[in-house]
Amino acid sequence: MCAVALLLGGCGGGKGGDAVTYQCGSNALEIQALERDIPAFTKRTGIGIALNPFNGDEKLYAMVAAGQEPDIFTVNNVLRDRFASEGRILDLRPFAEKDPFADRLLASARADGVSLDGGWYSVSNWAFTVGVYYNRALFAEAGIAPPDSTWTWDDMVATARRLTRDANGDGKTDRYGVFIGSHFIEAFEQMNHAPLPREALFLSLSPEARDVYVRYLALMQDGLMPDTRRVQAMGMQAPQMLENGTVAMLVEAVPNTNLFETLTIDWALAPLPRFAGKAPRYFRSHSGGLAISARTRHPQRAWEALKWIVSGASVYQPNPVLRDADFAGGWERKHARLAATGFRDVWRLAEQQEGGDPRYFVRFSSFTMAPILERFQPLLDRLWSRSIGIDELAAAVPGINARVAKDLENTLATSAMKPVFRDALRRQLAGQRPADGK
Amino acid sequence: MGRVSRDGDSRGNAMKSGRWTGLLFVSPWLAGFLLLTAGPMLYSLYLSFTSASMLSAPVWVGADNYAAIVSEDPLFWISLTNTAYYVGVFVPLSVVLSLALAMLLRARVRGLRVFRTLFFLPSVTNVVAVAVLWLWIFNPDFGLLNSALRVFGIDGPLWMQSEEWAKPALVVMSLWGVGGMTLIFLAALQGVPAELHEAAMLDGAGAARRFFAITLPMISPSILFNTVMSLIGSFQVFTQAFVMTGTVQPGSEGGPNNATLFYVLYLYKKAFQEFRMGYASALAWILFLLTVGLTWALLRLSKSRVHYEAGHGR
Amino acid sequence: MADRHESAQPAWIAVLRASGVYLLLLGASALFAVPVLWMFSSSLQDLAGVYRQPFAWVPSVAHWENYARAVTLLPFARFLANTAFITVLNVLFTVASCTLVAYGFARFSFPGRDLLFSICLGTMMLPGHVTMIPMYIVYAKLGWVDSFAPLIVPSLFGSPFSIFLLRQFFLTIPRDCDEAALLDGAGRLRVLWSVILPQAKPALATVVIFAFIGSWNDFFGPLVYINSPERATLTLGLNMLKSQVLGSGTVEWNVLMAASLLVLLPNIVLFFFAQKHFLRGMNIGAYRA
Repeated sequence: MCAVALLLGGCGGGKGGDAVTYQCGSNALEIQALERDIPAFTKRTGIGIALNPFNGDEKLYAMVAAGQEPDIFTVNNVLRDRFASEGRILDLRPFAEKDPFADRLLASARADGVSLDGGWYSVSNWAFTVGVYYNRALFAEAGIAPPDSTWTWDDMVATARRLTRDANGDGKTDRYGVFIGSHFIEAFEQMNHAPLPREALFLSLSPEARDVYVRYLALMQDGLMPDTRRVQAMGMQAPQMLENGTVAMLVEAVPNTNLFETLTIDWALAPLPRFAGKAPRYFRSHSGGLAISARTRHPQRAWEALKWIVSGASVYQPNPVLRDADFAGGWERKHARLAATGFRDVWRLAEQQEGGDPRYFVRFSSFTMAPILERFQPLLDRLWSRSIGIDELAAAVPGINARVAKDLENTLATSAMKPVFRDALRRQLAGQRPADGK
Repeated sequence: MGRVSRDGDSRGNAMKSGRWTGLLFVSPWLAGFLLLTAGPMLYSLYLSFTSASMLSAPVWVGADNYAAIVSEDPLFWISLTNTAYYVGVFVPLSVVLSLALAMLLRARVRGLRVFRTLFFLPSVTNVVAVAVLWLWIFNPDFGLLNSALRVFGIDGPLWMQSEEWAKPALVVMSLWGVGGMTLIFLAALQGVPAELHEAAMLDGAGAARRFFAITLPMISPSILFNTVMSLIGSFQVFTQAFVMTGTVQPGSEGGPNNATLFYVLYLYKKAFQEFRMGYASALAWILFLLTVGLTWALLRLSKSRVHYEAGHGR
Repeated sequence: MADRHESAQPAWIAVLRASGVYLLLLGASALFAVPVLWMFSSSLQDLAGVYRQPFAWVPSVAHWENYARAVTLLPFARFLANTAFITVLNVLFTVASCTLVAYGFARFSFPGRDLLFSICLGTMMLPGHVTMIPMYIVYAKLGWVDSFAPLIVPSLFGSPFSIFLLRQFFLTIPRDCDEAALLDGAGRLRVLWSVILPQAKPALATVVIFAFIGSWNDFFGPLVYINSPERATLTLGLNMLKSQVLGSGTVEWNVLMAASLLVLLPNIVLFFFAQKHFLRGMNIGAYRA
């Protein structure tokens, strides 16, 4: 039995002790492209890269716990802060100081990787913004001018009203003016100038945010938008509704390959509508980034490899985090139709603005995000099913925050955070604790 | 049949000689348990008395986690209730349905092998890959289920997006995978001697009578097996809820309004999204105790009803 | 139902009953076959076809090239060989170890037997999420990470599920036969081999099927323990088709469904042929004409 075990054990094991291990995505094309590109990089620099494309949160924790994590791996903001606070990933500032590469990154991409102690722990490798995809034929048919960056929420509602119709008069809407997945509400909060402090420890529902929720509910109540519960927002259902004419406008991520590759209708892109009297706040969202393990045996080589992944590996190019990359042009070359859709303009607006990432996942502190959403998400579900109203939602906030404060104190008391992180978090807590919190 | 003790000691010398031989036979499992399984289990028991986050060194906190779970965690009770619902509905339904299917699949018809294979298909289809299929089946507007209901003039519910219907939807989805349990019943039914049925028929017993008087007792060990395994599996229901609610939109696992927040899903969130491994371990051990208790009760209750040693004593 | 002797039924009742059973079978199996029919139909669609509303069961153009793409996008042969290697060993080891252990639990009385059996069942009752990390550390210490060992070696020690299953079946086999054999001087292994196992064939076939399916379709095990692409299994391959390039990819659901069907196929073939062990004894039961 043991002999067999040893035999099996022996045929595995780590390969290429000198290679930098990189936990890349699992996508087949991504792996193929990386495997194609790596030999040239190795030839040029003498640095080998071994891919580990099989990843999941649990696996990463297990690897870290066993001291066998890859040299380079992807982290989201929460993981980045947790790992950074326990000294498990490298502060990249020493590398950046003597390397012009850091200056090639857009400021927002750079800022996204900074943790509580001011250290720079992860390098963004992707960015997107949010825009309004619309059916150009339906707009033309109804004699509606294409929206531009001056259009407002009220314009969007008026347009939706004109485009909503019940063709056969059976009392059922055949075409809705617009669909906005509930996870894009955050983008409109930002456009409405809701204060979204970075690293918010607590949940707050500002008047601006409440205003957006009220408007969102009104869209459904007025029958201009399908019930958000009926539409599976992730995946392809929402895009298909645009494709088959069930909705005339769709708020979605830009770029969105699903839409680019599957839409056969005549579509175009508009920037998010602004709110009357308020300057627009377009933004780019960064999806986590690449970090280097603090246990890596060859930090400098890992840094070189990381730089190449972000700026050289073809599958990630043109990379939206780089100042010198022609992102819009690159995507227009990938998808010929994009040139005629206004994609470039929407992207330029996002690039010009350094508006922060409005998503709930990012705007709350990594140390309280899960406790907040665990209690807030069910309330949102009840808001959509109209078993509570916006006032009840707001009334629940102090209670949620009291629990969040308790959880945070618990975390501070027990976790193995480095003192600099613990102090920073304590300072944040002292400054942010809501008056009615415990 | 029931008179005969299962205990080998009451038998002749031939059986008595097996005292240590028996231990030798179970030694592969025992070795695996001691070498591989026991350590991680005991370690998680230890963690449940600590404040371990995912990675940091655990700090002993005594029974604090357990106290906090029971006294001040509403989601513990919500997730426990959800799981109890699932166990209460799925376990009896799955056993009855799989037994009915097994009986049906013994019919003497052409193409029986094909039929059996068809019934087994959902059990071998990767649940993650077909989540998209189920989201489509349950889609309120154009899904298969509501389209079928519409034929009968019924306006179907929102299924996965409805607090009332999300759990029943997941039960339906799981019931569809009873092929494995059916297979076990099919195997057990092979062991029912034909002579018993023939003798009963000669005595004038009808089909229903023969089913309850002969078939059920004869396959009772398999009924016990399927019930226990279904119970253990249901207490740990996770994947269906995770894949069906997590793909609706980010952070929606367990929704809507915690309707599908099953116990292990909640435990998973605590462990891997909030990094509270100590707390999650305490949750796991509470579930362990509940499962042990219920299984023990089931085994006790079944003791006089499960008949081993088919045909013995006739 | 109340007929005293079914063999005395008029022929037309038997025909009626048979056709009723047939209809029931047809209806129910259609319900259970929906997933694979849907997968098959989806595998022939174009990119957006999987989501088209209403779903077109028969696509206007059958895109058979999806199958070619599935096989060329992945190093399919490599993954197939890896999966087959792991699965075959798992099935062999599981059947061997579980038979021995179940025999020990079913036929012997030894100190602590019932406690040990309870522990065996108990190991299934703790959610794996909390033991997964310490388990990984054990394998890492052994140097087995990124090898097939963590996916195969545990089967040498038997799975509680199959041990329990076989024990339940062994207990239904009359002891008279083993006792007679033992009195004739046969050893324990000999009794197991020539008395118990022949009578437990349906149960063994069941264990083989479960072990095969469990190993062939295991996703989480390989995901956690395999790092190198060249050691990947088919389920990891399917995941390669399902995951997107960071933020910018499209899931080719049609290709994924084609690949899923190819991966599913061996399960179906095995099940179809393993059934000969379930066909014996067909002549009894309610439907005898």
